Amino acid sequence: MAKLEVENLTKRFGPVVAVAGVSFSVDPGEILVLLGPSGCGKTTVLRCIAGLEHPDAGDVRLDGRSLLGLPPERRGVGLVFQHYALFPHLSVAANVAYGLRHGRLRLSRTLRQKRVAELLALVGLSGYERRKPHELSEGQKQRVALARALAVEPQLLLLDEPLSALDAALRMELRRELRRILKERNTTSVYVTHDQTEALALADRVGVMREGKLEQVDRPEDLYERPKASFVAQFLGRANLWPARVVRLEPPRAWVEVAGVTVEAEVLAPPQGEEALLFFRPEWVELGRGPFRAELREAEYLGDHWEARGRVQGLPLVLHTPTIPANPLNFQIKRAFLLPTGH
Amino acid sequence: MAKAVDRRLIRRRGASLLWAGLPLFVLATAFFLPLANVLLLGLRLEDQWTLARVRAVLADPYVRHLFSFTAWQAFLSTLLSFVLGFPLGWFLTRYRFPGKSLARAFTLAPFVLPPITVALGFFLFFGHTGYLNHALQKILRLRDPPLKLLYSLWAIVLAHAFYNAPVFARFVHAAWSSLDPALEEACAVLGVRRFRAFLTVTLPLLLPAIFSAAALVFVLCFLSFAIPLSLGGARYATVEVGVYLYARVYVDLPRAAALGLVQLLVTLGLAYLYVRGGGRWSAPQERLRPLPTLPFPSRAAHGLWLLWLLGSAVLFFGPIGSVVADSFTRPLGGRPAGLGWYRFIFSPEHNPFIGTSPLGSVRVSLEVAGFSTLLALALGLGVSGALRVLRSRALEALLMAPLAVSSVVLGLALLLAFHRPPFVYLSEKHALILAHALLFYPFVVRIVRPIWEGLAPGWVEAARVLGASRLRAFLTVEAPLLAQALLVAGAFSLALSLGEMTAAAMLSRGELVTLPLAIYRFLSARRFGAASAMASLLILITVAAVIVWEWLGERSLRHGQA
Repeated sequence: MAKLEVENLTKRFGPVVAVAGVSFSVDPGEILVLLGPSGCGKTTVLRCIAGLEHPDAGDVRLDGRSLLGLPPERRGVGLVFQHYALFPHLSVAANVAYGLRHGRLRLSRTLRQKRVAELLALVGLSGYERRKPHELSEGQKQRVALARALAVEPQLLLLDEPLSALDAALRMELRRELRRILKERNTTSVYVTHDQTEALALADRVGVMREGKLEQVDRPEDLYERPKASFVAQFLGRANLWPARVVRLEPPRAWVEVAGVTVEAEVLAPPQGEEALLFFRPEWVELGRGPFRAELREAEYLGDHWEARGRVQGLPLVLHTPTIPANPLNFQIKRAFLLPTGH
Repeated sequence: MAKAVDRRLIRRRGASLLWAGLPLFVLATAFFLPLANVLLLGLRLEDQWTLARVRAVLADPYVRHLFSFTAWQAFLSTLLSFVLGFPLGWFLTRYRFPGKSLARAFTLAPFVLPPITVALGFFLFFGHTGYLNHALQKILRLRDPPLKLLYSLWAIVLAHAFYNAPVFARFVHAAWSSLDPALEEACAVLGVRRFRAFLTVTLPLLLPAIFSAAALVFVLCFLSFAIPLSLGGARYATVEVGVYLYARVYVDLPRAAALGLVQLLVTLGLAYLYVRGGGRWSAPQERLRPLPTLPFPSRAAHGLWLLWLLGSAVLFFGPIGSVVADSFTRPLGGRPAGLGWYRFIFSPEHNPFIGTSPLGSVRVSLEVAGFSTLLALALGLGVSGALRVLRSRALEALLMAPLAVSSVVLGLALLLAFHRPPFVYLSEKHALILAHALLFYPFVVRIVRPIWEGLAPGWVEAARVLGASRLRAFLTVEAPLLAQALLVAGAFSLALSLGEMTAAAMLSRGELVTLPLAIYRFLSARRFGAASAMASLLILITVAAVIVWEWLGERSLRHGQA
């Protein structure tokens, strides 16, 4: 399996900058998920790697070799499309065998059949060889699309929101299966999604994108626990972001004043000047006592906890509590980070 | 409670029967009854049912020649249409260029462009003393004209291809631009080169469209009348021409009826194959984003395209351009004509070549077109409504039956019927109006019905929940949305009627000489100037109809889908 390096990738569509200088690398066998809201440029990054779009600047290297001069059919990169793009006139077997038959390999019929059987077994569709795409369920189509992309043994597999068209239960099941298959085959993968749960569950590392830029690339738990930008903090899970004034800065620690209270926080990215954001997750609090007094407006029961919303001296607040919360509610912040303002 | 429901059900069923009954009644008296006359004449001999006439017709070597020639020229025409039309469809799909929507609109031209104007254009452009020969003689410094195309199989095939290549272009373009661009991208990332991807994925997915277009073009060429009549001469007659010759020139009506019956069987068979095949070939397609296009002209566009476009422009616009040019430049009375020929065709003086005055011909054409369009709209709306209320395949087949009958057979049926009750008090002009209404209301149904059915039922339901009665809902919601479709259908039907020549030739008598027929007669007498002026008039009307279709039609369609 190959190592992918993307360097300073830039792509414009007319006046719109879809991708603005994105750099990252993916180690052999690693699954990198690009996560971001729709229109953030993540699919464009994928299409530039596949060779379906030509970047205006930057480089894409596979094992140190630049792919930019190569047409898509000579890159050795697989792509699973958002809506599968199965060939409607071909059977499942012919779809999976398509690249083996018409692509660079041109395997013999017996070898093709063997490979097709192997791949259909891998995705759990043995016995479906003769079906046509329109006779398959959405989940089955997705498995065929994966088998077809894997059949040509690409050095790198790209997946463009492959589960977005499926319902929630199936999405979860296929997500686990997808990770198992990719890990079993040790396939270097770049996976694009706007679904944060999917990203956290599937990825070895997640890159969060916003408006054409890569905000942060990290392991899922680091991304959730130690976001480096307010956008990342907000996009993954619930976040409280309070404007705060820096009183003392001694990295990696800092003291800030917010709502008349001084709070100690960890510093991930040092703020410029006195203005900063105090960030804490709804569950990083101790309830019942403390310097903050929350006026709650509403509380939703979410099964394993309550999610309460309200204000602390005009600052919006979201808290997770194990039981139905009292109102007003006193609390203190157990853990918090200092993030730069901006964006 | 139950009783009230019952009564409402009965009332509804009664309304449905009325809906279906009205157009059925009209068709029964105006179409099925006259058609029965043809059957009777063809199948009865001395008060007995017999196949003797049909058998005699089939045994006749001339008739066999007619059929084999008709099928052969239709096959060759279809093939050449494909060869010329497929690249045009490709071009329309792959490239974007200024005036593209206009170019797309003109692929509709063959549906409405009167065949006789094409025949005239071929005379003027490809003929012995035509523009093309003239130009070649000048360029190559030849004494004799190098091209001898007229009065041959190739003249017919070329004219048909000119006519039908745009059909292929349109079908291929429509199918191709509805393909998901991810399919070709999938080929690329699987390591497949573009040409191979085209052969293994794109082309197979276009086959249903190609097959449909081929079937349609084959039938159109099989039933072609004006072009073989005027370009082929007596030797290269099609079955359609044959029926006309038997009925109107040799006045052997029983033989014409027998030949018409055989042709009817063939066309029914073709229609059946088309319907059967069409169902099997069409694959459901979901389109997710539009196919990307390349700018033209540009470096990415191959230089061959320019050459090819130039060639097709000569083929497509040469003949039509010749007609328009000829109408202004052909000398009249030894002087350059200017608008002279146009003054001529509006003159009320009797003209021996056409058997009536040119103005009379214009007038009768407009009269026939106007009334037949109104009738076709009414009938088309009635049939669409009936099929909306009662969904039955058998009823649909009955109500759309005139589609399966060729113009010459319909003409023959009405010719026979108008000498008997209940039509005996009406004239041939009424017969022609009826013929055109019957020929063109299926097009009205084709245009109106999908829009009517495509209207979201929620709109009418919303109107009714808001307190509008069913009738009021129709008038305030459905009718405004249908109005544009009806306008388009009307423009189309008008243009088709003005250009129709087969039924007009079958039913013409005395002063009943429509424009296409007058053009044909002027053409036969080699009075090109008058023919060109009349043809230019028809071309102008055709262009107007096409433009109405493309702009209004697409707008109302989009409306319907909103």
